[in-house]
Amino acid sequence: MFSKIEKNPFLTLAIIAGGFILFGYSTSLPKITDFMIFCIFVLGFDLLYGHMGQLSFGHMLYLGAGSYGTAIFAAFVTPDPFLGIAVGIFTAALLAFILGLIVVRTSGACFALLNLALNEVGAFMVLVPFPQWTGGEDGLSLFFKSYGFLNFANPTFLFFFVLGSLLAVSYLIMRFVRSPYGMFLKATKENEVRVRFLGYNTYIYKLITFVLSGSIAGFAGALNTINLSYTSPSLIDPTRNVEVIFAALMGGAGNVMGAIIGGTAFMTISNYLARYIIRWEMFLGVALLIFAFKFRKGIWGYLRKV
Amino acid sequence: MLLNVENLNVHYGRAQVLHGIYTHVQEGELVCMVGRNGAGKTTFLKTIGGFMRPSSGTITFRDQRIDGLPLENVALKGIKYVFQDKRVFRELTVRENIELAAFPVKERMDEAIGKVLSIHPGMEKHLDSKAKGLSGGERQILLIGRALIGNPQLLLIDEPTEGLAAKIIGQIVGILLQMKAKLSMIVVEQNLATVSRLADRIYVMKEGVILREIADRETIQKPSLYEEDL
Amino acid sequence: MLQSILFGLTIGGILYIIAIGLSLTFGAMGIVNFAHGLIYAIGAYALYTGLSWLGLNFFLGALLAVAVSIPISYVIERFVIRKLYGQAIDYAIIATYAVLLIGVDAIKWIYGPNPLPIGDPIGESIAFLSLEMPVYRLIIIGISFLIFIGLSLFFKKTMVGKIVVAGLQDQEAVRSLGIKVEKYFAIVFILGSALAALGGVLYAPISTLDPYMGFHILILCFAVVIVGGMGNLRGTAIAAFALGMVMSITGRLWGPAADAMVYVVMAVVLIFRPIDV
Repeated sequence: MFSKIEKNPFLTLAIIAGGFILFGYSTSLPKITDFMIFCIFVLGFDLLYGHMGQLSFGHMLYLGAGSYGTAIFAAFVTPDPFLGIAVGIFTAALLAFILGLIVVRTSGACFALLNLALNEVGAFMVLVPFPQWTGGEDGLSLFFKSYGFLNFANPTFLFFFVLGSLLAVSYLIMRFVRSPYGMFLKATKENEVRVRFLGYNTYIYKLITFVLSGSIAGFAGALNTINLSYTSPSLIDPTRNVEVIFAALMGGAGNVMGAIIGGTAFMTISNYLARYIIRWEMFLGVALLIFAFKFRKGIWGYLRKV
Repeated sequence: MLLNVENLNVHYGRAQVLHGIYTHVQEGELVCMVGRNGAGKTTFLKTIGGFMRPSSGTITFRDQRIDGLPLENVALKGIKYVFQDKRVFRELTVRENIELAAFPVKERMDEAIGKVLSIHPGMEKHLDSKAKGLSGGERQILLIGRALIGNPQLLLIDEPTEGLAAKIIGQIVGILLQMKAKLSMIVVEQNLATVSRLADRIYVMKEGVILREIADRETIQKPSLYEEDL
Repeated sequence: MLQSILFGLTIGGILYIIAIGLSLTFGAMGIVNFAHGLIYAIGAYALYTGLSWLGLNFFLGALLAVAVSIPISYVIERFVIRKLYGQAIDYAIIATYAVLLIGVDAIKWIYGPNPLPIGDPIGESIAFLSLEMPVYRLIIIGISFLIFIGLSLFFKKTMVGKIVVAGLQDQEAVRSLGIKVEKYFAIVFILGSALAALGGVLYAPISTLDPYMGFHILILCFAVVIVGGMGNLRGTAIAAFALGMVMSITGRLWGPAADAMVYVVMAVVLIFRPIDV
């Protein structure tokens, strides 16, 4: 049953939409909005991890880039939310492009660590040299304009806007994966040397994917800024990379449903579990260990076989 | 019977590279695996050596099953592997190369060095030079000498004469023939002239199967008779 | 200026001591071991326990710290690292990171999340060329040189060392001689971890203890290993001291940028020498 869902993109989107609407109205719209934003971030990360097959330990950099891009634009230029989002995405995309030129040339452990190192540099840049622009440790508090019913301060509007964004990103990724680029990416993931021997420039494909992945992460960051009307260095904190890695692994790497399930599962754990288990971070570590050894295909990986 | 291989099947991932291989080696025999590139000769040798696990089939060494054993254990049972490409420990000295071979079998260094020198007295002057400074032929001889340490009963030798000059090849053939008195060997070799001088028996391999076994010396010495099979 | 050089050598020495274990594991098993940072932190916290809770002197506290690291690193090697041999690098990274997470939380649980200070055990300086140089830092530099020499001798002269060096070059060939290389790599893993604990002990008095200290030092050490080359003993030493200098001099010019500068160097090195692991 589950594998059939996967094959039909519209059914997938419908289930995602239905699921979140149900979840949102039965618990709380703002909380589920948070969940969905995180899922967008996981989708962006999964493009790199699941589809391209490279683990990055520094993807928070792009979340932060989007978040701060939007925030700084809103604080110093104009508080228009739509332009702000565009600026956020653009900032992350540009950064991903420039850094990607180097980063995409590495793989494996070096890829993972180089991204981490760049994340650390990014965190430094946000915290130290320009506190008048970035707000340093305290971050930036913002306010966004509204246009009639297009009011992000309205939880219902925000919820559906983010839901729409999530569906759009999911659809984008599903199309991308089924496109020729996506095919090349999959082939490259399995055997890059062979794809190169066939005459294809794998570097370009990887770079495009990296930029796309960073842009989506930036989009999530931008939405986050609008959601909270606030940004802070925790959005670019390198130690938080484990959250998205865990979500991708737990949900099932390499597909949209897996990423979304993983993102939702992680947010559920960190929101609700923390109330019942004080040492929930240790629990997370243990769970991560178990998943790394036993359940590598993640939740969706197992459901698909049903 | 020293070694008996029956119905060996080996896969690389999902691709099957060896199909139903059978081989046997008696004491004191030198058996050659012949075939062109890609026939599966090295894969076969590596499977016996324990570098790869067969998917099915049996490898029996002196009535003991050794298929699936880790390669350290296979080596300790008395089966030593001589690699292709003259693959010594380049950054270590000749003496250190020998030391590493002597350690796991607890052989004394003077005995171990003696074994290497017995097949090539000229090695003595290189004992304390780094192995990478040796010529190709000398490195190959070091590899063979190293494999003699610990009194192995069976050597698996992968293309020992590849890329070497005729004179050195002659030297190595002489060494291998000299070794026949004490142990058995399976030699993978593409050079049919060398095969004709070395082999007691030949297995002709093609595309992962054993095509023929040739057991009579007269045929072996006339490569033209089996050349087209390759 | 001389102060900066001295400090650079001190940091470099400590980085070397900690990074060498990481480099060996990386080179020998192809595994990025995040748990290495945990052992470093455990070393520091064990020292603190020895000093504050057990009333030991610094030397005994250091001994305790190193001793404690051995069974812990054995358990990690046996139950995590060994299972990850030859597998996709992602899972090794994730699994060892998970171990680090668990350990960090355990530290937070036992010692609380706040930073803890440990004083300079010697507290004296010597005067040299009109400067005050803390004796403790000179000792650290001395110890790191001793360790460098010790390790060089170990790898050149002992059988275990030679097996590991050969194994780093060509693992298969060593195994084909009948040597269970895994066992020796495990020994080296524990040795490297003990050194990490020692690094934690030595660094503790000139910094403060906090539960995330392992994570922080880890990335610096990765930079050292990448710049110096995996499994390359001399390269790690050179890289450690070079990066120590980078940190010290940058720190002098623009304090908080010291760490960031290391990452910039690492990125630059990776541009010109991209390594595929």
